Amino acid sequence: MNTLIPLSKNIVPVVANFSKPRWELISRHYARPTSFPDFFKNPVFRKEDQAPLVESGELATLAKAPYKPPGVSETSSAYYDPLVNKVINHVMEMGKKKLARSLVEKAFENIKRKQIERYHLASSDAEKAKIELDPKVVLHKAIENSKPLLQLTPVKRGGITYQVPGPITENRSEFLAIKWLLEATNDKERTIHFPEQFAWELLDAANNTGKVVKRKQDIHRQCEANRAYAHYRWQ
Amino acid sequence: MLSRSWRHFYRRYSQSVTFRTTENSPSQHNENQTGLFYTMDKDLCKTLFSHGGFPRSFAKQTKTFTEAAVMVRRPALDVIDCIKASDLNKPAVRYLLYGENGTGKSLTMAHLLHYAFENGYLIIHVPWVSEWLRRLPRHKEMSNSATHEGMVDVPLDAAAWLFHFKTQNQAMLKSEELKISKDYVWSKRETTPAGAPLLALVEHGISRVKYACDVIDAIVKEVKLLSDSKVCKTFVAIDGFNCFFYPKTRLYTSTKRTVKPEEVTLTHSFLELTKNDWTNGVIVLTADQLAIPEDHAESFLPKYLLYKKGFEHIDPFVPIPVGRYTEKEFLSCASYYRDRLWLRGPAEIDTELKLASAANPYKFMELCAPL
Repeated sequence: MNTLIPLSKNIVPVVANFSKPRWELISRHYARPTSFPDFFKNPVFRKEDQAPLVESGELATLAKAPYKPPGVSETSSAYYDPLVNKVINHVMEMGKKKLARSLVEKAFENIKRKQIERYHLASSDAEKAKIELDPKVVLHKAIENSKPLLQLTPVKRGGITYQVPGPITENRSEFLAIKWLLEATNDKERTIHFPEQFAWELLDAANNTGKVVKRKQDIHRQCEANRAYAHYRWQ
Repeated sequence: MLSRSWRHFYRRYSQSVTFRTTENSPSQHNENQTGLFYTMDKDLCKTLFSHGGFPRSFAKQTKTFTEAAVMVRRPALDVIDCIKASDLNKPAVRYLLYGENGTGKSLTMAHLLHYAFENGYLIIHVPWVSEWLRRLPRHKEMSNSATHEGMVDVPLDAAAWLFHFKTQNQAMLKSEELKISKDYVWSKRETTPAGAPLLALVEHGISRVKYACDVIDAIVKEVKLLSDSKVCKTFVAIDGFNCFFYPKTRLYTSTKRTVKPEEVTLTHSFLELTKNDWTNGVIVLTADQLAIPEDHAESFLPKYLLYKKGFEHIDPFVPIPVGRYTEKEFLSCASYYRDRLWLRGPAEIDTELKLASAANPYKFMELCAPL
């Protein structure tokens, strides 16, 4: 996600392709056009990403080229995880990132406490080995399990709108997974706090159970039922 | 290559061994155990800390870790050494624990309480003064004191404290030696005669909540007398002591007037107890920034937190600074957290955590939480 985009991808379409909006050509990294010119590179701020560049000797050339500054949250810390950062951004409202981060971290803490307690209660080593203690891994698993493989798009034919099944891009399915997880979390009693509910949802989804996984399966089932409409995608 | 792997082996081995000590008796702790964790017995925790005493975050931690392990640290050892070395026949010595937020003042106090409990002290422990003066649940029971003109009682809190006192000193209070010196007349029909056990006084306070504050006042006087006459030795521990000297409380009288701390009867009793006009006692206090509002908690130093009045009240006292983790303590704490699965990941992150938390115990624990 944070690797550099090859030079050709950045520059060539600007001349060739006028049908796409400009910002799609500039950067996948920044959501909106930035004040930086097209030829500015995206920053490589993680050691893991820098290592292959050092090895291949690309870094020397890159170091001379201008690049955009990394965001405040994009650090070379050992804990940095792009997916976690993404989830935090989804939780965030009105740009209150600090609050969003604290909520997600609190949820992680809740997951950890629950899992550690379960770990200590487990009787055999085999049971203990099954319990996932790392909240980040739980999050990754939960999102992986909630990603839909197909989507339904409404297509209007002869005055009737059909729900047409079709493939889904990797990005969109990740987006939907996070969105559904948050929707499921926010559908809670007023007295239960967000971190607590979010922890439960993540644990459920990581376990392949719960509201979100059911929602995914429902979509899949509907896609299966509507397979007769699939040709409307291209007709 | 071989030497490197040996080094790794040694490091791993040493880390998995040296963070715990099997010496679970605080009176046996010495320099060799600094930075090591000792486990408190479950029953002991129940007797001493079931009604407060551990900070809330630590209480949570004991549940997650399924044990209550406290680090043996320099300040507690210092106080224990001082207590051992001092002559109890001299006026009670006052120790003041102070330090930044989250450095472990309350846990040091818990360690000392364990020491006192083990050595047969009568324990008078106030878990958190702000609970009385600054925390306002929806229905804070308040009444005007019948015995002290113009003063305010908080009977429910007082009764809760009496219960705490009773659970902490169950064994001591059973002995017949602790007797009251004079008659206490509560009302026409209720009296506690001279020579009755101290327990009767406590029981009366719990069952007749109306008199709880007066009972505490009586207990304080009696305990001082008993200690003076060498019947028992007393260990006084008050957490958040500076709250007694902050100019305001959050209590309001029925006429919506803010109550000053010196107008609360409990303050009066416990200030009486922290004077050094009695012998055979040890007094441990803490000055805590969290006990008073944030905007008046700029410094953690005793002179600032206690104000002139408080400072003069406890004046000849032994200041005990409680600081951040040293190198050794941090290492031991990190390996303890690793053992308890609270901290995971490569060993290199310890350095990052140390830097981010500035080796502050509470912050370190917080930072480990989402990892």
